Amino acid sequence: MSDQPITNLSESRFASSWSQATGSWLPAVILLLATIVVWEAVVRVFAISAFIIPAPTEIAQSLVAQWATLMQATLVTAGEILFGFLVSVVVGIAIALVIVRFDWLGRALYPLVVLFQNVPKVALAPIFILWFGYGLAPKIGLILVIAFFPVTLSMLAGMQAVDRSLLSLMNSVGASPTQILFRIRVPHSLPNLMAGTKIAATLSVIGAIVGEFAGASDGLGYVIQFASTQLDTALVFAALLLVSVLGIAFYYAAEILERIVVPWAPKFSRA
Amino acid sequence: MRIEPIRPAGGRPAHIRHHDDLISAKSVSVTLARQLVLQNIDLSIPKGSFVSLIGPSGCGKSTLLKVLAGLVNPTSGSVSIAGLSPVEAARKRMIGLVFQEANLLPWKNAVDNASMLLGIADKSLSRADLRARGQEMLELVGLGDSAHKRPNELSGGMRQRVAIARALALDPAVLLMDEPFGALDAITRDQMGQSLLEIWQRTGKTIVLVTHSIDEAIHLSRHVHVLGIKPGRITESLDIGLPYPRDLSVTEDPEFVRLVVQLRTMLRASHQPGGAS
Repeated sequence: MSDQPITNLSESRFASSWSQATGSWLPAVILLLATIVVWEAVVRVFAISAFIIPAPTEIAQSLVAQWATLMQATLVTAGEILFGFLVSVVVGIAIALVIVRFDWLGRALYPLVVLFQNVPKVALAPIFILWFGYGLAPKIGLILVIAFFPVTLSMLAGMQAVDRSLLSLMNSVGASPTQILFRIRVPHSLPNLMAGTKIAATLSVIGAIVGEFAGASDGLGYVIQFASTQLDTALVFAALLLVSVLGIAFYYAAEILERIVVPWAPKFSRA
Repeated sequence: MRIEPIRPAGGRPAHIRHHDDLISAKSVSVTLARQLVLQNIDLSIPKGSFVSLIGPSGCGKSTLLKVLAGLVNPTSGSVSIAGLSPVEAARKRMIGLVFQEANLLPWKNAVDNASMLLGIADKSLSRADLRARGQEMLELVGLGDSAHKRPNELSGGMRQRVAIARALALDPAVLLMDEPFGALDAITRDQMGQSLLEIWQRTGKTIVLVTHSIDEAIHLSRHVHVLGIKPGRITESLDIGLPYPRDLSVTEDPEFVRLVVQLRTMLRASHQPGGAS
């Protein structure tokens, strides 16, 4: 009698973890499918023109028909995102390290970085085209100015959140500022940095598309713009779908990276 | 390669009174942000003794510990640790610090955490030397078989044991502890206190403990200094005559009970703001 509730407890825990896994996805999947069905039905019933709202089936047809073109464009855009993202992370980390390590330089740099954050970066796209032409460079530049900031800011927050008593311990044994930076502050900032990196991954996708809108001869952004001038709205939606898939893929890649880099982070704690 | 072995207790029990003072503070005053935090502190801490500083919140006992550790400079007066200034003593690895929070590095396991400060203090030590020293210290604090666990796999008490191991790894002359068990539950706290006593007797270190707990102060220390507020100053000092080795049964000793009453009376008086400063 007395051990029965314990058995039930462990069973229900297993059951709840199973229903959690399916239960968290299931409503979203159902809603998504329902939306697609309603969308299709509304377009057909009201005979809405395909260049205003294409039906999901028409988008799918366009996706299949233009598959080769779309894949090539996806590859180009993915390359820009990856390259731009990596540059943003490296530059973002470098700026954070300089601000923390060199006090005077940091006090000069930090307000300017924050100030720069208020510049609407999308508006820089035409200028970057003017400076760097139509190739890869303006896209990388645009992704960089859009995506470095969350990296810098999150890493700074992590480096500055080190407990004072830990710093006291380090100081008492005569640790140098560089030792404190690389042995304590930098590893301590990694969970924050990874959170910032995930934001940067999402922003990189936006940066690449904005860069392609402003001037490009390839990539999904270019496909979207070209197709819309042709009133091929189904192709616009097909490209949009692929952009979203790219965004999700980059986000989850960053999430997996997080698990590899900081398995000890509080959010993964078993306790 | 100079890993000094822990000084064995040998035939000489650690509790025999030494006549030389390891730490002496003379007329130490500290003013922080125009506030007189400590006034005219005179303190002598004999080598190998176990001393507690107790007092109400805001009495400056933590500041006093920081002064002894060289983390806060006295506004006036002087502190000497075996003839050195606290900062010099810290650089010579003579001071081990333990705070209320263990402050372990979450990305390092217990053994690497235990040897972390030693590795910074002594760059000549190899990774293997550090590991060996860390392991030795974990065994001393009773965590020998948790060496590869990360802090998030350890309980609060175990984390604090690692923090003590980290301080002991420096082989310091004095262990300065600021409410090291303050965040632990009552039972864990008792066990940690008892472990600390055993470590003290095995290593012969001088220990200065800042605590809020009357029981803890009497259970562990040989001398208790009571600090009063406004300004922070030593109002009373009490010798605890209970013989070592002590265990938790000492709390049932009539002498223990008498000392608790006496110390509580002193503490109550220490809550009254002092005279003109």
